[in-house]
Amino acid sequence: MAKTKRYKQSNFVMILMLAPYAFLLVAFGVLPLFMAVSEVPGPSLTNMDGGWDAFKIVVQDFRFPIAVKNVGGFMLYFIPMMMITVIAMALMLDVKTTRWGKYLRLAYIVPASVSGAVAVLVWWAIFEPTISPIKPVLNFFGIDSARQIWQTDNLTYLIAIMAFFALAGNWILIQYGSLQNISSEIIEAARVDGCSAFQLAVRIKLPLIQKYVVYMAVLVFAGGLQIFVEPQLLNTGVYTGIASAWSFDQLSYDLAFKAGDFGGASALSIILLIPSLIGALIVIFKTDMFDVKTNADKESD
Amino acid sequence: MKKKYSLIAVAAAAAMAGTTIMAMPAQAAKPSIVVWVDAPRLPGAKLYAQIMKGKVDVKVELHAQGDLLAKVQLFNRVKKGWPDVVFGPPNDVAVLKNPIIANARELSSLLTPAEIKDFGKLNDWSKASDGKYYSIKNDMAQSVLWYNTKLFTEFGYKVPTKMSELFAIGKDLAAKHPGYSLGALGDAAAYSGYFWPSQCPLNNELSATRVLINAKDPKCTRVTTALQPLIDAGVYYAGSAFSPEYAKIAQSGKLVAHIGPSWYGEFVIRPAGSFAQPAGAWTAAPMPLWDGEKVAYSGEWGGGIYTVSPHSKFPRQALDFALFMTSDKRNVVDVKNPDGSNGAPTFPASLKGNALWKAKIDADPYYASSPYPAMAVQAGKVWTGVKPVRYDADGAWGAAFAPELSKSKDLQKALEAYAAYTSNLAQQLGYEVTTKK
Repeated sequence: MAKTKRYKQSNFVMILMLAPYAFLLVAFGVLPLFMAVSEVPGPSLTNMDGGWDAFKIVVQDFRFPIAVKNVGGFMLYFIPMMMITVIAMALMLDVKTTRWGKYLRLAYIVPASVSGAVAVLVWWAIFEPTISPIKPVLNFFGIDSARQIWQTDNLTYLIAIMAFFALAGNWILIQYGSLQNISSEIIEAARVDGCSAFQLAVRIKLPLIQKYVVYMAVLVFAGGLQIFVEPQLLNTGVYTGIASAWSFDQLSYDLAFKAGDFGGASALSIILLIPSLIGALIVIFKTDMFDVKTNADKESD
Repeated sequence: MKKKYSLIAVAAAAAMAGTTIMAMPAQAAKPSIVVWVDAPRLPGAKLYAQIMKGKVDVKVELHAQGDLLAKVQLFNRVKKGWPDVVFGPPNDVAVLKNPIIANARELSSLLTPAEIKDFGKLNDWSKASDGKYYSIKNDMAQSVLWYNTKLFTEFGYKVPTKMSELFAIGKDLAAKHPGYSLGALGDAAAYSGYFWPSQCPLNNELSATRVLINAKDPKCTRVTTALQPLIDAGVYYAGSAFSPEYAKIAQSGKLVAHIGPSWYGEFVIRPAGSFAQPAGAWTAAPMPLWDGEKVAYSGEWGGGIYTVSPHSKFPRQALDFALFMTSDKRNVVDVKNPDGSNGAPTFPASLKGNALWKAKIDADPYYASSPYPAMAVQAGKVWTGVKPVRYDADGAWGAAFAPELSKSKDLQKALEAYAAYTSNLAQQLGYEVTTKK
């Protein structure tokens, strides 16, 4: 009897704590999704009689394969660069805790505060040979005009560099945090058994934070797929036309706010949701990331 | 002191009471319009709102030229919010007539015969195939040959009357005066100054369902073959005239001539924030003639239009605003711009406004001699093969032509990139794209 009451109470508290998130999820996640779906069959300039072929029309849009190529190329640089560097840096940061550790951590987070519009300006300045702080390096490679760098063909890796520096710092700290979760007993035991720092990192720590790595991979993938700010700012603010409808999100934006094709824009957004959704489902069901140890589990331990 | 204040207060209260009583019956009938303009048109629109105070409520909103298309589709959905009159790019007259957008009111029934006559042929762009007007042209943006008279004398050049003579000057500059420039080709400069006047078939709407786009037509390739060696020699700049890099070239006194629209003088060559050319050097000549042609055609870069919404409750008042902007002295000549200049920078399409503008330009000591006669010659010579089309033909210069030109510096390749891009856009909107008439 007393048990059910306590259970009910905790249930109420749970709902109370979940409510703000649930509200935001419904208001800005679920509801817009339904709105987007209902928007798709609306008539537009390219889909005069309306209907669900908006999906087909947007995939057949001549800018769609270009966006596939651009975003695909960008992710080919961006994701490995993120995964390898972040994990390596976090593991190195974890090797020895010294009093410099906290300053180092601060140093990692600084580039992360330079994101979006500011990052575009910073990188523009770095790659502008007349004012660049790395002018000698650029000149060494025979680059003396900004036009040699800021070309549509170079954007895949230029934007990968921008996005990498904007995001890597945060993720290094998160993965450093996940490393702190490893029980010190395991580390001690490994050391006693004669494990070197490198072996410790690769054989012991890395497998133990595996689920966090998968989690990061999924989020980085979803973020990369939705790249928007960097190419859009370059295109509208710095070099007009350099990244016109360069990414999927930009194409969707152009469809909606330049052509007024809200159906096509919604269709593209829904298409983009699918890979991210699959990624999220992998994290939830294929890793034990969100497994919660219940009392029953603890008792059986 | 106190007494004075209280007197003022009483007077003010009386005045307010007076106006409320007086205004009461009038208020119901007082028309109100919402006006959308871009930045160069803003001072004139604000002035109009001030002038009309008490007669018409004019609400002025600043919008980028491309804003309307998406917004109108939202307004159509909620069935409210349409601006009454909008300044937009010339192509809007075709885009807004699309049944899904349906935001260009037929204006022939509102215009008086005198008003129609006041525009003459200069408003032909606004005339649809049904013979009715659907917009009011604000200005003509016909291309002319802007040139620096001092540099021409110094280098011993004659004003070219043929394109081949202009290119000969280019070759001479490359050989004897390296660093000197004949202009920038980015944005719509190459199009309005060279391809369009050469009758290169781009965006030539043949019917409501067919458009002719052919970048490989001889009338296009004669432009690219003539300009390419001069681009390679650095006489033409393969980027935007509005880029800081090119402004620097012009500001250092290295700009010899530039085929540009009629607004180039007031809006690009003269302003301190742009080319900042010294007074007494510049004027304009008529367009040079392509070899084998009989007419030295112009192209247009801009030459915006006013469209009136069919949803407007006060279409005549909306139209009055458009007519004020292009024909009234208070806007064409007098209005104060934020950069300190006066009047509209553009060549008014209204003959009445145009005469006022002519007087202003003729009297302006800035020019070596008045550029107006050249503009007048070219105003009636805009090649009419180019028609308003339902897709964003202007935006494609930035989206497809400029990046390719900047990358490869290959004019033909850049033109083909433009043609490929607009062909795709045209097909999306239901045009059949053809490369032959």
